[in-house]
Amino acid sequence: MKHIPYSATLAFLLLSAHAAPARLHAQAAPPPAKKASAIQVLMIQSDEIKMPAEFQISIYENLIQQLEKQGGFQHVYREGDHNADGAADLVVLHSNVRGFKKGSEMARNVTTVSGKTSIDIHCQFTDRDGKSVLERDLNGKVQFFGGNLRATFDFAKKAAKLAHDNFAANSVS
Amino acid sequence: MVMRSMRRTTIFLVGILGFTALPSVGQQAAAGNKVVQITGLVGVRTNASGNLTLENGSLQFASSGTKVSVPIHSVEDVITENDSQRVFRGTFGTLTMFAPYGGGRFLSLFRSKIDTLTIQYRDTDGGLHGAIFTMPLGKADRFKKDLVAQGARTSIPMQDDSGSSNSKPDAAKEKKP
Repeated sequence: MKHIPYSATLAFLLLSAHAAPARLHAQAAPPPAKKASAIQVLMIQSDEIKMPAEFQISIYENLIQQLEKQGGFQHVYREGDHNADGAADLVVLHSNVRGFKKGSEMARNVTTVSGKTSIDIHCQFTDRDGKSVLERDLNGKVQFFGGNLRATFDFAKKAAKLAHDNFAANSVS
Repeated sequence: MVMRSMRRTTIFLVGILGFTALPSVGQQAAAGNKVVQITGLVGVRTNASGNLTLENGSLQFASSGTKVSVPIHSVEDVITENDSQRVFRGTFGTLTMFAPYGGGRFLSLFRSKIDTLTIQYRDTDGGLHGAIFTMPLGKADRFKKDLVAQGARTSIPMQDDSGSSNSKPDAAKEKKP
């Protein structure tokens, strides 16, 4: 008779201990993203923020390079590529510059603490119909070594990882 | 002991300066259309140096063992900007960061001004590409003029009297850090 309340308490504790992480997991888990076999990268837009053309081009080219390097997509299309019209499940990456601070390589080398270059970009992934499927703000920066354009490489790596984790067919989610 | 270390550091710095001063003088004399492709051309590694020419209606970049051609009519935008870069770059530049008594930081102060030429073009499938080149100061504007004269388009028109990089429109100018 004594054993019944003890067993019940133990069972209750075990159940609650099991249920709590599951509930937390359910809250933290992102909504399931649609897998895509192809991605199209559009040219970086910087209508509100003045950004030198070399940075725009460098971000665009680095993005394409990193997406190809990460794998997971059968095709990585550029803006305007006619072949993207026939792709069945395509996600389109729109990038809009929200903040840009051009630092100084010389200041970084000399002082170590100043001269940081940083880029803030709003990334929006849409489906073929233009419906948004994922939006995220990412940044790229160069703090110590390297030229200013290295910030574009930093951003491209983060954006490619985001795309890979959410949309690539072989991603672990 | 301290004096000896200081003398050694001074000799090290003077040696490096002397070593790099001669090639830079020679480089300016034989510059021509020598450029560095930062990124963008298909099949060319980043930071590859080579020759940029306009031949038979196409923009040609020739590096060691690689030749890439872009038809000028497919060039949608040409933009020139100014920038500066370290005189001591690459592996050697990285090694100078370990020089004693802040010697690397001191050497970082030596910078050379350069022109940047950025182009946007379409491939045969309509895909948009961009390429960035750096070249000696004052060359980019002239190159842009030639490109535009042969059919390339630009979002920032050239001024007729622009002989130097200083006479560019404000939109094209890059703010100095």
